[in-house]
Amino acid sequence: MTPQTVDVLVIGGGATGAAALYDLARRGVRALLVEQNDFTTGTSGRYHGLLHSGGRYAVRDPETAQECIAENTILRRITPFAIEDTGGLFVATLDDPADFPAQWVTGCAAAGIPTEQLTPEQARAQEPALTPNITAVYRVPDASVDSFDLIHGFIAAARTYGCKTLIYHRVTQLIHEGDTIVGARLEDTRTGATRIIHAACILNAAGPWVSVIAGLAGIAVEVKFDRGAMIAMNMRWVNTIVNRLRPAADGDILVPVGAVCVLGTTSVMTDHPDDYRIEPWEVSKILNEAEAVVPGIRYGRALRAWAGVRPLYESPAAHHNDTAGRAVMRTFSVLDHAALHGVRGLVTVVGGKLTTCRLMAEQTVDVVCQQIGVTAPCTTAREVLPGATTRYHRLDQRLHRLEHGETPGELICECEMVTRPQIEQAIAAYGDQPVALDDLRRDLRIGMGPCQGGFCSYRAAAILQEVKGHSALETNRAFAAFVRERYQGVRPLLWGHQLRQFYLDELIYRRTLGLDWLTGDYDPHENVYAEGDHD
Amino acid sequence: MTKTTQTGSDVIVIGAGLAGLTAAVHAVQTGATVRLIAQGWGQQIVTPGWISVCDRAKDDVIAELRGYAALHPAHPYALAGDEGMIDCLERFRAITKAIGVPYGACVKAGHNLRLTTLLGAIQTPLLAPASMVSGDLTGVTGEILLVSFTGWRDFYPALAASNLAKQGITARAVLVDAPGAPQAWDLWPVELARRFDDPALRQRVIDQLRPHVQNAAKIGFPAVVGLEQHVEALADCTQQLERPCFEIATLPPSVPGTRLSNRLRRWLLRQRARVQIGHPVVHGIVENRRCVGVDVGALGHTNPFYADQFILATGGLYNGGIQSDESGRLWEPIFDLPVKGPGGTGREKWYHANLLVHRGHAVHRHTGLRVNTRMQPLDADGAPVLDNVYAAGHLLTGFNPLTDGCAEGIALATALKAVQVALALEAQKSY
Ligand SMILES: Cc1cc2nc3c(=O)[nH]c(=O)nc-3n(C[C@H](O)[C@H](O)[C@H](O)COP(=O)(O)OP(=O)(O)OC[C@H]3O[C@@H](n4cnc5c(N)ncnc54)[C@H](O)[C@@H]3O)c2cc1C
Ligand SMILES: Cc1cc2nc3c(=O)[nH]c(=O)nc-3n(C[C@H](O)[C@H](O)[C@H](O)COP(=O)(O)OP(=O)(O)OC[C@H]3O[C@@H](n4cnc5c(N)ncnc54)[C@H](O)[C@@H]3O)c2cc1C
Repeated sequence: MTPQTVDVLVIGGGATGAAALYDLARRGVRALLVEQNDFTTGTSGRYHGLLHSGGRYAVRDPETAQECIAENTILRRITPFAIEDTGGLFVATLDDPADFPAQWVTGCAAAGIPTEQLTPEQARAQEPALTPNITAVYRVPDASVDSFDLIHGFIAAARTYGCKTLIYHRVTQLIHEGDTIVGARLEDTRTGATRIIHAACILNAAGPWVSVIAGLAGIAVEVKFDRGAMIAMNMRWVNTIVNRLRPAADGDILVPVGAVCVLGTTSVMTDHPDDYRIEPWEVSKILNEAEAVVPGIRYGRALRAWAGVRPLYESPAAHHNDTAGRAVMRTFSVLDHAALHGVRGLVTVVGGKLTTCRLMAEQTVDVVCQQIGVTAPCTTAREVLPGATTRYHRLDQRLHRLEHGETPGELICECEMVTRPQIEQAIAAYGDQPVALDDLRRDLRIGMGPCQGGFCSYRAAAILQEVKGHSALETNRAFAAFVRERYQGVRPLLWGHQLRQFYLDELIYRRTLGLDWLTGDYDPHENVYAEGDHD
Repeated sequence: MTKTTQTGSDVIVIGAGLAGLTAAVHAVQTGATVRLIAQGWGQQIVTPGWISVCDRAKDDVIAELRGYAALHPAHPYALAGDEGMIDCLERFRAITKAIGVPYGACVKAGHNLRLTTLLGAIQTPLLAPASMVSGDLTGVTGEILLVSFTGWRDFYPALAASNLAKQGITARAVLVDAPGAPQAWDLWPVELARRFDDPALRQRVIDQLRPHVQNAAKIGFPAVVGLEQHVEALADCTQQLERPCFEIATLPPSVPGTRLSNRLRRWLLRQRARVQIGHPVVHGIVENRRCVGVDVGALGHTNPFYADQFILATGGLYNGGIQSDESGRLWEPIFDLPVKGPGGTGREKWYHANLLVHRGHAVHRHTGLRVNTRMQPLDADGAPVLDNVYAAGHLLTGFNPLTDGCAEGIALATALKAVQVALALEAQKSY
């Protein structure tokens, strides 16, 4: 295959890479974004969903606090389709340090974060589920942000300027010419085919994997990995984002997202960028902390848990020795490897927040443009994204459309109200590219509701077969892969209600359908009682 | 003995699953006065509707089961004993025939059936509703025609046909218009089944199918062919299409299970049993190791009901017979009976990392009540906890209902045993 040439190759289909692609597009640069999986499968799809006001950082990390409030204001303007303006509360309880609220208010004022003090009664009138043990409570401009919609919005907007994307392609090698990086070798993660892309500059937005990419250029970028877990509860216990008003700790935040409420998070240092484990203590901790703010919530139904990894970077210059986890600043760094390491053609961005992705993109693209001689300034903060659809997902809107006959066709995923024509359309959008059920999940939210795929995965697998003409075995395996993936996020939460739900799901898969006989993984005539794969 | 004559009965059965319902039937048949109390219907309203006794048995099922029970004396089948095994199946066939939802078995006596699923896998229960038995694939060589409805979300026959082909069975898929009003976006199996009760609506399906029958040896429908008139409905299809027609279990809710539940309930009511479905038992009233009554939840308060014997068939982790929490605690909420679990600290041993692991998950295999051969729940030392409470069905420990293919057989066998013990005791006591 003849190598393809672009001005800039962006590595990483998370919020930062997507925002960078859009920024490059507006500056007239021909750019290609490459992502090893689907969009949003990295940290951006495993995060908490909060468009920070900056309040959380107001005391310890004023720089991040300022960045957050500025970007919060900008994203509300340019990506309204991805944001639900829930507002936020900071709540101190009897258990929290009494002197903290005063420091916090000062910090917010210094960072420019508007706060409004409420009486506990006012707060409870707005959010009746809150604890009566409130000692202080403030309103801040937090919001809930859907990273799927945000990233798809940036990508769609970049495409209107002619920029391109390539998913399921991994950068496996960087191509050097002397001290300059001139391109990359990509591997199709589904077929193994390779191709070469030449680029005047590469923008490394690989999130927790940035040091892997830098390593391909022989450059050491020291990143610490900080894992955090989140739990989705099956209803919106609160309609406003609720933060604990105390020095940042585990389980401080409740975020209403769509039909659920996401609790989190924890902070555990780990050695691997893809360590997504959730330890039992993390589940207990998160539920206990949420219980202190919203009594009764721990007896609610926990739907799904997931973990993400924050890449924490501190420039060697500003090195305090054993800082870890929350003590490391959440601000970001742009690494110009030409200036730092004498390697041209590669710029890395690391750290930061989803809230600040546009700013991170702006500052990184500034450096990239300098290297390739483009002088156009950043204009991404100016206007609503062009070409972006108003896809903001609201379950009640889907129900309304269904009930008024606006979305014809049978209902395939009852929990998230996805119809057959919607699934067919989403499949068609992939053209002749392979489609996994998990891709459809990210596109449409199938299988993300209370039953976690119990009913819709058979239906969706069969529709996928009909449209794509897959073999029976391929279809059974795609079905099994999907339900196994759904299980991973439910497994830490299997007790009480969700255990019962998953018993039913497992019975449907194993007994009603007999899926386990048909994946080719084991011999159906083997003795079920045989020892072997133990409990 | 009983506190008030109005609310007293010989036996209270708690639970309306297969275990509870058949226990009530047996008790009624011996002439006892029976009250059945359940929070809701049992699992049969979501299951395929067949009776798995020992799905893995290749030959004579009962012989294999006896061999297995002899090697595993703590297994519920061993505890129930093997006379009861055959007896409970015969009684089940008799009662289902009497109420008009007959269950049948493989033509090859004592062997398991071979029934296709919606996905085209083959499941091997011992008994099934007659409407499914006509789809037995044992020895079938001809082509199977699989029927579904255009725009119906719950059965994709082409996928089933392609999976059956892999297993050497020729099948062909056809879609016809559903009976009745144009396609609704959420057409449930039970609603479709009601439409099949109407001869005129059914006729339209049959007429559409005629040209597609061709060489088919049998014709398979999703299990929605009639709710109240299902025997007539299926016979009508079979007669007009001149091929054996059969039903394939659907996703929940289960039409075959709904037919069975409705008719068992009506039968029990006709026999003057009291049937209260929709009421949880919240608490057992115990005096000196004997249960004298149960408190039953009603709006904002509880009502006591009294009896001499109690059959506990509350269904284990799925239906609330056993409760679980985040810390890994497992408890039986009515009598606080000792619950055996998978062991380990917290929930660490409950679930395997792989959902579809062959042997299934430890939490389902191990969680339940330990009982003796009299079906009495035991304490840690192996002694009965209460003199007149007997447990049956999914509530017992020692088998995995998801993987072992024996849960329904266990429900029937242990329910029969529990009733036999309870009523024999009752007879002794009155002397
Ligand atoms: C637990 C947790 C909670 C958080 N909560 C919030 C919050 O509430 N609000 C907020 O603003 N921020 C939050 N954050 C931070 C936020 O999620 C991240 O800052 C943001 O998602 C980072 O986006 P990114 O694009 O830089 O990285 P990612 O989303 O990780 O994207 C990097 C992408 O690069 C791809 N990639 C890696 N290597 C290669 C390769 N060799 N070839 C091709 N592609 C490659 C990966 O597949 C990945 O998709 C949270 C983070 C965590 C961990
Ligand atoms: C989709 C599905 C498919 C299945 N397929 C198979 C199969 O192919 N093979 C197999 O062997 N097994 C299968 N099973 C499992 C099998 O059907 C069950 O194990 C069996 O039916 C259990 O019957 P049971 O009467 O013991 O309990 P259940 O059916 O669970 O009934 C329990 C009853 O107790 C009631 N109850 C609980 N607590 C209280 C209370 N406090 N007060 C009053 N009432 C209470 C409930 O409301 C319910 O009526 C399947 C199950 C499902 C869900």
